[in-house]
Order: sequence, then structure tokens, then C-alpha cells
Amino acid sequence: MTLKIGIDVGGTFTDFVVTRDGAEPAIFKSLSTPADPSIAVVNGLADIAASMDPPLSLEAFAPLIDTIVHGTTVTTNATLTGNGAKCGLLTTEGVRDALEMRRGVREEQYNNRYTNVKPLVPRYLRAGIPGRLDRDGNEVAALDVEEVARALELFRREGVEAVSICFMNSFANPAHEQAAAELVRRELPDAYLSVSTDLLPSIRFYERVSTTALNSYVGPKLNHYLDQLVGRLEGIGFDGLLLIMQSNGGVISPQLAREKAALTLLSGPAGGPGAGLFYVRTHGQDRCIITDMGGTSFEASVAVGTPMIKNDGEIARHKIALPMLDIHTIGAGGGSIGWLDEGGLLRMGPQSAGADPGPACYGKGGKLPATTDANVVLGYLDPEFFAGGKMKLDVAAARAAIEEHIATPMGLTVEEAAAGMYRVACNNMAQGVREVTIKRGFDPREFPFIPAGGAGPIHSCLICDELEIPLQIVPRESSVLCAFGMLMSELKHDFVRTFVSRLDALDWPKLAQIIGEMASEGARQLTEERIPDARRRFDVKLDCRYIKQYHEVSFVVPGNLIDAHDSAGIASAFHAEHNRLYGYSLEQEGTPVEVINVRVQAIGVTDKPVAREEPWAGDDAAHALKGRRAVYIPETKTFRDVPVYDGHRMGHGNRIDGPAMIEQETTAIFVSASYDCVVDALGSFALFRKGREDLVKSCIKDKKEALA
Amino acid sequence: MSAVTIDPILLSVYARTFRSITDEMSISMEQTTRSPILCEAKDYVTGLYDGDGNMLEQTENLPILAFSLAPVCKYIKEFFGDEIYPGDVIFHNDVFSLGNQNNDVAVFKPVFFEGRLVAWTAVKGHQADIGGNVAGGYNPNAVEVWQEALRIPPVKVVEKGKLRKDVWNLIFANVRLDIVQHDMKAEMGACTVGERRLLELLAKYGVPSYEAHKEALFDATRKMMEAEIAKIPNGSYSGEGKVFYDGRHVGSKFTIRVDIEVKDKSIRFDYSRTDPQTNGFVNGTFTSSASATILTLLQMVNPDIPHNEGMVQPIEIVIPEGTILNAAYPKATTFGNHLCPPNADAIQRALAPVMPERVTAGWNNLLASLTTGIDPRTNEKYVDIGFMGLKGGSGAMLGTDGYDHIGMIDASGGVLDQDYEMFEQQTPHRLIRHELLTDSAGAGEWRGGLGVETIFEIGSDDTQLVTFGDGDFEPAFGLFGGGSGGLNFIRLHYPDGQTVVPKNKDLITGVPRGTVYHQVASGGGGYGDPQRRSRKLLAEEVRNGVISEKAARELYGYEAEGSA
Repeated sequence: MTLKIGIDVGGTFTDFVVTRDGAEPAIFKSLSTPADPSIAVVNGLADIAASMDPPLSLEAFAPLIDTIVHGTTVTTNATLTGNGAKCGLLTTEGVRDALEMRRGVREEQYNNRYTNVKPLVPRYLRAGIPGRLDRDGNEVAALDVEEVARALELFRREGVEAVSICFMNSFANPAHEQAAAELVRRELPDAYLSVSTDLLPSIRFYERVSTTALNSYVGPKLNHYLDQLVGRLEGIGFDGLLLIMQSNGGVISPQLAREKAALTLLSGPAGGPGAGLFYVRTHGQDRCIITDMGGTSFEASVAVGTPMIKNDGEIARHKIALPMLDIHTIGAGGGSIGWLDEGGLLRMGPQSAGADPGPACYGKGGKLPATTDANVVLGYLDPEFFAGGKMKLDVAAARAAIEEHIATPMGLTVEEAAAGMYRVACNNMAQGVREVTIKRGFDPREFPFIPAGGAGPIHSCLICDELEIPLQIVPRESSVLCAFGMLMSELKHDFVRTFVSRLDALDWPKLAQIIGEMASEGARQLTEERIPDARRRFDVKLDCRYIKQYHEVSFVVPGNLIDAHDSAGIASAFHAEHNRLYGYSLEQEGTPVEVINVRVQAIGVTDKPVAREEPWAGDDAAHALKGRRAVYIPETKTFRDVPVYDGHRMGHGNRIDGPAMIEQETTAIFVSASYDCVVDALGSFALFRKGREDLVKSCIKDKKEALA
Repeated sequence: MSAVTIDPILLSVYARTFRSITDEMSISMEQTTRSPILCEAKDYVTGLYDGDGNMLEQTENLPILAFSLAPVCKYIKEFFGDEIYPGDVIFHNDVFSLGNQNNDVAVFKPVFFEGRLVAWTAVKGHQADIGGNVAGGYNPNAVEVWQEALRIPPVKVVEKGKLRKDVWNLIFANVRLDIVQHDMKAEMGACTVGERRLLELLAKYGVPSYEAHKEALFDATRKMMEAEIAKIPNGSYSGEGKVFYDGRHVGSKFTIRVDIEVKDKSIRFDYSRTDPQTNGFVNGTFTSSASATILTLLQMVNPDIPHNEGMVQPIEIVIPEGTILNAAYPKATTFGNHLCPPNADAIQRALAPVMPERVTAGWNNLLASLTTGIDPRTNEKYVDIGFMGLKGGSGAMLGTDGYDHIGMIDASGGVLDQDYEMFEQQTPHRLIRHELLTDSAGAGEWRGGLGVETIFEIGSDDTQLVTFGDGDFEPAFGLFGGGSGGLNFIRLHYPDGQTVVPKNKDLITGVPRGTVYHQVASGGGGYGDPQRRSRKLLAEEVRNGVISEKAARELYGYEAEGSA
């Protein structure tokens, strides 16, 4: 029996998914403990131990756990709240302000009260060191080690906890950075150290210095947290494998996470996208849109065979150029507050009531109307069965808030106002989905839609209506999708080198050497993580562009094209990707292509939970019917009595016609009048557009024929 | 149409969707254009207009372009009358038919639904070249439009879906760079992106609903704008801004004068007392000057007001023809967009006494350069639009310091400097210094934004340098006791020890390799008495070296601890 636990720390709850061979995944939640998130981890593990049959003590249970995969928001929160380490920066003389100047962007052009973001390193701790490399990495002026020593003396005096090093053109030659790093290790052995070329040896100074400074900013916090976590886990007798979720959707050892803390800046939501693919494959699909609706935010991403990656991310207005999942976040969640702008138009969010006081219906003192309040008025949430009945919702408070702030000023009834809030919220989320589909060259209609988060499946029918998406898959684990996804993740190590060259004049031996160096560094890390050769894979990507373009396109290059020195084959892969992204290529014009960066991803394949087919349970869902209630039907703008089903009692093949409600302990699903629903082999609820049985054949036709 | 009742919820959906459409058009432009001024500096605007050319929504990366499309759209509709067909694509740049600048070339695409013209999509971008005497269009010697550019009054390059090859060739036979053909195709592509999305919306809700709701949207927006204007006390307010040097007559100086009349919910900007046009290229066009007026006003009101026709309805702008802000045919006008800073100065000064909580002190004026030459490493020609050096600080306002290194007010942080390492890849130059400049910001209780000092070594022989801008005679002004920013300059230190100071609109040739280029884009003006500035902030700023101990003592009356 292999016991694996995925743990996702959220703002309110810490989610757990427990998988064992041959058993259905089990879901647990414990209250988060923001001061030391590892306390909630151990509390949750105790709950899980107690739920075993027979119940176990924590100390008896912990040694049975093979693997824990953990997503943390420690680094994210430190950055968002400006609460990172005190840092110093060694950089090239003459450009020490790059980090603060941010290329001179003001994101809100018409807002003169919009101020610049506080730099991660204050100016007096940014030391410009004489010494210079040219753009090819040749030394123009030697590194002034005495200036380095003086700067380190200042850092010591000022109590700097973390030091970053980033010099001009170091991507072409790391020698100056390494020399300075040696001095830091000698003079400030206790300081956390980030060297730009260790982290990101690629061109673009601002991106590199920002990424390096972020790494230092969050490094000490993450180390402190991992000390606490590892200490507590060892304390209860856990001696299995602990893995940390990274922003790129892969996992790494805690040791690597300590050194490259910036890899975890998007650790929390990074589990979701990979998990989505698991659920759609049973329908013969290899692509999907994954969304996660929380209390404050809505996250959307796309996977095509693998989750989409971007190399130009941002966090709290700081650039981070490490590969991370392309997850788009907007301020739309259950707590998003409805308000009227000065022109009298209804808006939802981005202001959120959060978890405390929360929406008015929580009865914790919130007076402003939130999305969840609208959902209560519209009948989508059963006030007696919220979180499985653990929390009663105050309908009167929800109505009062909506009446005062929306209905009365707009001259609408409370129901009409709630319907408006619901619709505007869904429209906002649909626009968020457009960001990761249409704007990235994908047609959303070709993607199954996965709504995660407890409230996601209440809104997904209207979102999918808006985007004309015919198929939604709601997994049983949808309320803890990220935690589940962590268990599906591979070990992933990304490497990049800048190698500027025209594609038709490549120095092939040099390219092979660069790839080889990165691959062997990856192999070394996989060896440390005890991954045998048979479970290793190395993917090569090139970042290319048409000559004189400014933006590169990153695409996977099959190894055989490189081995065969097939620049024409590589060029056509580039043309195709450019065409997909931007609707055209310059293949006909014969415009030369240039390489800017070479990337290698070293992958160590991990054991996954085994997909378990549910037995066929027939198409009749009547046994799961638990009642009826009036809910709002957007198609007709009326309330109607619809059947309410107990999702826990529905099995593979059970079919429901919309409109209907399906309730589980942690999720409510609204099947609108435009969709029907059938349970698939993994137990997921497949919502398909009426008449589109062809999309869910595996749950309908074949089985019927087999039974006949 | 009048039978449609307004669904207040659907109204929000329309507003949000219009915005998402123009954003999507903007991203399409960013990703498909090749000229750096488009894909890096984002010098373009994308917009949606109704069948009559009224603005529905715009994404304005560079605000100075923002209010130049709707008037042209109306003009085009009138010009072609009933000869507008599905599948048409119309080009336009002509400054004497409401264009704003010759190099800002627009594409308009009519949108038909069920056989009716119901909307337009449009994109206008700054093209790298559009003919004329000088590559790139900045010709300080021009006195007439034909010396500046190819005039393109409204012309169909595609009619009923069919490309008119003859027209296409006529245009591009007069343009130096092939890249421009490509970038105009990108503008056409972005219009198609917008058209496709709008048609989806119309298919869903129908034309009557769309027509009724857009009018309701204009109404709602107009009310927001009126509410903002109503906050300004009724009255007449006047202000001035200065322009130094017309590019041809050394010592020349011009004044922009605005008289602002606020009456309840409407506001009128009258430039009748402004100086006459110059006999050079330092002249505005009506649309570039009106854009400058609107974008300055927009920075003083609620930034959430949607950008549609309703927003501009309460605003009246009078700029007599023949003034420096609205040159008469056939005067040269390429510099016109850069008259925005002095125009904004005039407006800020006029309104400062009555809305002291909304205006800013003066922003650093633009001084820019462009270097071209042959890169000795590749023997290929390079062109560097000097984004690196040109971004100074903004003016402070009540309660908020100016923004450091933001650049001219007509871009407001929408134009970025180059990445330093990419700069060294794409030009033969080597960067020596590019940092915030100590003491460049105007002092004040709220200080101006800091300026920037940029030094690089020129790496090509026989280099050509063009300068265009201002801000080297008069610094950004302070308000209510705040100090002024510093002066801009560009200096060339030749290897033989000679120093050359180009005029603010100049063309210098034969600059040798090894010359050190030195530029300062200085800081913005301060606001309020510097003696009242927070001592805690001053302590930090002195420690960080953005204010020197000397300046802190002399301007702010601040003594660093232990230094007295």
C-alpha cells in the first residue's frame, strides 16, 4: 500500500487529499494557522490518522506515509505583504537602480496617485561595483574586489539577512558573479545568497536582477518555514519523502527549494492545472481549461498535453522570469463585493469581504453584499447545508445587504439584483478565461472546462454559456483540486542559457555542449532525489524570434531535430508555433529566425495515484434525489423548482437533466437549463450541452450497448 | 429600437465586453508588430466605434493618440457616404483631415451585421516611416507637410474584401522600410480580431439591444464625467505653457494660453489667445492638441470613468486654426504631439487655484534623441530610438510624490526604456550609467519624481544623431511653494576632447566612435513647502542618496543625525 498525501495551504483552510492504492481519494480540511502554517499541517494529519480504520494515533500513522507533497504560500504572502528579508544587492556600477526603476512603467496611466512599488532592496543597500563584461562576456574592466569587501562590510553593519548578486552581461560569463559569491560566502557565511547566473543565466538585465532579488527576499522566510515543517514532521515520526510544489507545476526536494526559494512563488495554485488533465483523459481529451474560484480570487489556466508555461511572470509588480505555470488571476470570488460605480453600473469586486467578516450571510458582521450572498438568494446554496451543514447561512442578512446596496439604488427587486450580481460575476470570470485562451491563440470551445473551488461549479454553466464551451467536468475532488494535483506532479528542474545565434548559422557542437551541460546538471539533481535513469526525461526548448522582433516564442524541439542538425525542421516548428499564437508566420517571406535562449527541463517521473474505474451504476439517478427547491434559472430569468441530488450517492452512468442541483459536502453544482449531467468512470460529474451526448460517449453509449 | 428596455445588468456586460475587445486588439498589436516603437514602446491605440463613429471603448497605450480616432471615423463615414461596404479596409494619416501626426497611420474597418453598418474597429500606430524627406519623419527643416510625409487621406486599400494592389503599391512605393507594410498588416489583423468579437456579441443580443444599451452607456458615462466637472467651482481660469525653439530660428519662443470656463457640468478649453503657428515643424494639429487637453483633464478625475463618447460630451475644446496648436494647411506639424507637455502645464497652472487637490506640479518635458549608423560587428544599419535616456520625473500632487523615471505626460509611464542588455545587443553602444539622478526632483512637502542620468559610449563610426524635444530652457514648475525640477540636456563628448551640445531640435552627423553620449532627463516639480516634508522620509532619502545632505539642509531645512 502506497500512502500519499497532498497538502495545500490556503488563506482559510488547509486542504488534504489522501490517496492509497485501490481506495478512493479522501478529502480533509483543517483551519489554516497563518502564524505557523505547519501547525495546521500536523493538525490535519492527526484528523486523517483518527479517521483510519481502526483509528490511529498521529505517531502510529506518520511512519506509514510514503510521500507528502506540499504547496506553500509562505513565499507568495511574504512578497504580497512586503514582509520579506532585509536584503543587499551587489550589482554593476552605473545600473544599481534597475530594480527600482522597473524600466519606467506606471501601470495605471491616468492615475497620478498611483505610486511606484517599494523596491525589494533599498537603494543604500544596492552597491554598484566597478568591473564590466561586454555583451559577449569578455572582460572590459576587472571586478573591484575591494569595493565588494566594502559593500559586504556595510551589509554586515546593517544586519542584512540575504545577498543578491547580478552583474551586467553575466549571462555570457559568470566569472565576476562567482568571484563575488566567494567573497560573500567567506565574509557573510550566514547570509542567504542568490547569484543571478545560478538562478537564471539568460539575457535581460531587469528580469534577471528582479528574479534574483525576489529569491533573496523570500529565501530566509522559506527556510525558516521548512525548518518548522520538517521539524514537526520528524517530531511525529514521518520518515517518507517530502516534496515541495513549485510554480512550474513540478515538485522539488526541500533542499533545492531552500536554495531557489523563488521557484515556489506560485506554489499554492500550481497543482491544479496538471490535475485537470487527469480527469479529461477519461473522455479521450488531452486539453482543458482549469479554473479555481476561491474567496477572493479566480484563477484560470490552460493545459494542452501539459499545463502552459510562461517565462515572463510577475508578482506584486516585480518581474519573475523563472518558468511558471501560466495562471491568470482576477479579483473574483465568493467574497467579491457588489457595488455601483458613479455612473450607476453594477460591478463585482475586486474588493473582497474575504473570510472575515466574509459575505453578509456568514453572519460575522459583514454588511456588504458579496457573490455568495447572491448565490444564497438565488437558491444555489442551501443555507442549512453550507460546508456540509457545518456553517449556517443567514439568508435575511444576505437579502438585506443586497437590498440596501444594489436593489434599492437600481430600482430592482432583491432577486433581480442578486441575479445581476451573479451574471456580472460570471461575465468577469468568463473574461478571465479569455485571457488564457483567446489571447493565447486557443479557441475555448475546443476545451473541456474544469471548475474547481467550492463555489466554482455554481457559476460554470453561465461562464461556459458565455464562451460556448459544451463540456464541463466537475471532479469529486474539485474543492481541493490543487492538493490532489500535487500528487500528480513530476519532479521538474528548469535550466536556461542565453545563446544568441541565427538559426541557419548555428554552431551545432556548441549547442550540443550547452544542452549537455544543462542535462547533466539536471541529472545530478535527479540523482540526489533518487530517481533512477529509467524514470528520467530531458525536454529541450528554444526561445526564438524573427530577426529584429523583440519578443521570443518558446517551443519544444524534438531531440532528433537537434541530433540531425536540422535547422529547417526547427524553423518550421517555430513558424507553426508563431502562427498558432499570433495568427501569422513569416515563413513565406523567408525572414531569418534567431535563437536567443536554450532551455532544458529535467523531469523525474513520480508514482501517481492509480485511476480507479467506478463500476457501472446505470443511468437512473433517482436513488440520489434528496428533495426539490426553487433556484434561479438564468435562461428564463425566473425561479423554478428543481430536483436536488446527493452527489455522494451518484454513481458511474447516473444521468440528470438540467436544470438541477447536485450537492456534495464541499461542493454545490448548478446544472443549468442548457446542460445535462452524467457521472463518468472516475466519478466526475460531466456536464454537457443538451443534445451533445457525443462528448460523453464513454459514460453513455458504449456502456448501454455493453449492458444490452 | 426605442422599444428595447434597458437591462441594467446587461449594460455592465456590454461595458466589460467592449473593454475586453479593445484589450484583445491591443495584445494582438503588441505581439505581431515588429517595429520597436510599436511592440516595445506600444505607441498605438485600439478602439471600437459605433456606426456613426462615436467612441464605444479604447485601449490607449499612449494617451496622446487616444482621442484622435473618433473624429476621423466620423470624417471617413461622411467622406465615403453610401459607398462603405462589408470587407472594406480604410487607411488614414492626413493631418489636414483630422489626423494627429503623419507617422500615426490608422486602419478603420466597418463592421456590418445583417447588412447594416453598425460599428467600426480601428487601430492607429506610430509607423517607423511614412515617406517624406527624412527617415522616421522628424525633419526639423520642414516647413510644409510634403517635406514630412506621404499624405494619406481616407483611402480604401481593401474594398469588399479584395486587396487593391495598385493602391497598396502606391502607398508603399513611397515608404522607405518594408517593416511598415508588415506593421500595417498587423493593424489590419487587430481590426479583424475586434470585428470578430463584436459580431459574436451582436449575434447574441441583436442590434436593437446593442444600439439601446450603447446609448445608455454613453449616458451613464457622461453623468460620471459631469459629476467630476461639477466638483470644480464655476468660473474662468487661465494658464500658460512655454515652447522653446521651432527648429529653425535660434532663440524663438512661443506661448500656449488656455482659458478654461467651467459652468456647472460642462467645461470649455479655449486656446484663442495662443501664439500663431511657427514657420517650422513645431506645430500641433487639432486632434493632437485636443488629445493633450483631454488626457490632462482625465488625470484629474476619477480614473475609473470608461473611455467612450459619453466621457468627452461635457468637454468643449476651441483651438483656432493658425495657432501653434492647430496649424493651417499646409504647415509642417510633426512635432505636434510633443506640444502636449506645455499644453498640460498651461492647464495645470490654470486649475491649480481651484482644484489644488487634483492638479500636479509640472512634469519633466520630453527631450529625446535617435542615433543611427552602421554596427561595426555586423555591418548592418541600426536605429536606436533613445528610450533609455528620455524618461524624467512627474510632478508632485497634494499627498503624493511625483513618479520617478516615468517620462513625458503624454505617455504617463506607458513607454518603457530598453532592457540594458538588449540595448547592448541591438546597438553597438556600451552603457556606462543609467540611474536615478540625485537632487533632480523639485523639492516640496511632496517632491517631484526623480529624473534619470544616462551615459553610453557610441560604438559606430560616422554616427547620425537627431534630437527633438524641450525642457532644456525651463524646468518643470513647482506648485504652492514647491521647487522646480532640473533642466534636461544632451551632450556629446568627442574622443578628441571636444564637447558638442545639440540644440533641442537638431541633426548632427559624423559623430565618431568612442564619443560619450550624456543625457539628463530631469525631475518633476515639487508641491507644497519643502520645510513641511516628513523628516522620516527625508532621513530615508538622504540615506538612499536621492537627496544630497546639502540639498536636504538648504532646501528642506533638514539636518541628518550626527552631521550637524
